[in-house]
Amino acid sequence: MKIRQKYLLYTLAVTSSFIAAFVTSIDSIISAHFIQDPYEFTLSLFLVGAIVTLVLSLVLSIPFKKKSLGNRFIDPSFVKLRLIQSSEFKYHILAGLFNAVNTIGYCILISLILEPSLILSFSQIVIIYLLLIESISEKNIPTLVEVQSSVIVTFGAILASISLKGDINIDALLIVFLIINPTWAFFSIYQRKLKLLKIKDRHNDAINIRFWNVFFSLVFTTIILLIFDFFTGTHYVVGGIVASVHSFSWVAFGMGMTFFAYVLYIRSLGLGKASVNNAIRSTTIVFAIPFSFMLASFFNIPLFSTDPVMLIIKIIGITLIILGIITFALTLVKAYIFITIRPGFSLKKTMGEIWDIHGVSRVTATTGPYDFIVKIHTRTVVKGYERIIRKIESIEAVKDYKWASVLKEWEKI
Amino acid sequence: MINAYILIMMQPGKTDKAIKEMKKIDKVAKISIIAGEYDIVVRAQVDSLEELLDVTDKIQLVDGVSKTTTQVIEKEITL
Repeated sequence: MKIRQKYLLYTLAVTSSFIAAFVTSIDSIISAHFIQDPYEFTLSLFLVGAIVTLVLSLVLSIPFKKKSLGNRFIDPSFVKLRLIQSSEFKYHILAGLFNAVNTIGYCILISLILEPSLILSFSQIVIIYLLLIESISEKNIPTLVEVQSSVIVTFGAILASISLKGDINIDALLIVFLIINPTWAFFSIYQRKLKLLKIKDRHNDAINIRFWNVFFSLVFTTIILLIFDFFTGTHYVVGGIVASVHSFSWVAFGMGMTFFAYVLYIRSLGLGKASVNNAIRSTTIVFAIPFSFMLASFFNIPLFSTDPVMLIIKIIGITLIILGIITFALTLVKAYIFITIRPGFSLKKTMGEIWDIHGVSRVTATTGPYDFIVKIHTRTVVKGYERIIRKIESIEAVKDYKWASVLKEWEKI
Repeated sequence: MINAYILIMMQPGKTDKAIKEMKKIDKVAKISIIAGEYDIVVRAQVDSLEELLDVTDKIQLVDGVSKTTTQVIEKEITL
């Protein structure tokens, strides 16, 4: 099945956020009724998660009509579960460390606030962190549209996350701003770097990335809690193992769903910048509301207030989030540039010069009438001209070029 | 794995039907409608040059395709 590329990104990210909202509800139930201690809860998430992820990854490695199940139904880059490659190691270490710290923060937050739509709203502010980091780490300075959309999404998230009982939990806010959002931002960036790596001439696949991420997150969580236990005399590691055994089925169910949420999220990270992905994922707040009602009905978890004024504020917040996302979606301009170069110039050197231009997302050296086919991603055509065409014209080796704007695009899913 | 761009010129008014046909071809990874000298860019992912010939052959048989130019990718840098 082939689907338009921008829809593929949104389909993956929105499906992932729907599952994430569901998982947050399951986590709320576990935190309220089964594992009250956030540190033990974190360890049990990764301990049980590692087993569940291993089983799911092995099942998805089973061949089916010449391809594996995972390749056919989840990620076309997936072949089978494999050992980690040296080129991935550094990114897995960093992603695992940030995910471990992020999950500890998340479990503390969920133990302070049980209501999923509030927890998820707080974490949407991560987009600001991502824009800042991307402007430094990737050769892509955020445009005015990106900044505007991010601010709209952020304000929307703040409005949607206002405690409808009127109280503000300072501890929760500090955990969100100092632990959850920064670690999630870095975690997203390293996951994206992993997805964009090529392993044996194929794009890295989301299933192996997720499996190894859970493995490294388990290692780092255990190390952090062991250090904690050693200095404070607590028994979080033992408690976490015991809690994993006692609440295995609930945690395994949650982590099984989390596996699919992450695999879809990692795939969508391969299609668009982390900030754009997180903007789309903010729809999770909308999905969290029906789950909040379900929790209140079936599991005795307090629901947000239904005061009309507060509800209007929440609706305004959600509307702003959706508007911000639509702005992101409608302002991406893509183009191909077909380039021929003069004889006597190095192809490799010219390729490097083209790659250094802001907005260039792919450079391919090809056989045939054109020496290079370059893919451009930019927010406006004007910026494309100012930033890209002028730079290409200034490369001495370039003899001729042809710009072709992409009107519609489909990609195999 | 061999990757290639197939640049396609179309007869006017036949693009939509042709896209539907091209979506059915197995080794086609990406299809872009573009504005410029060419009308469609197809990215093919194949295991051998013979398979690439199969893909180009199938594309040339699609109604409305007037010319194809195949650019085999030698090296690629991507985000």
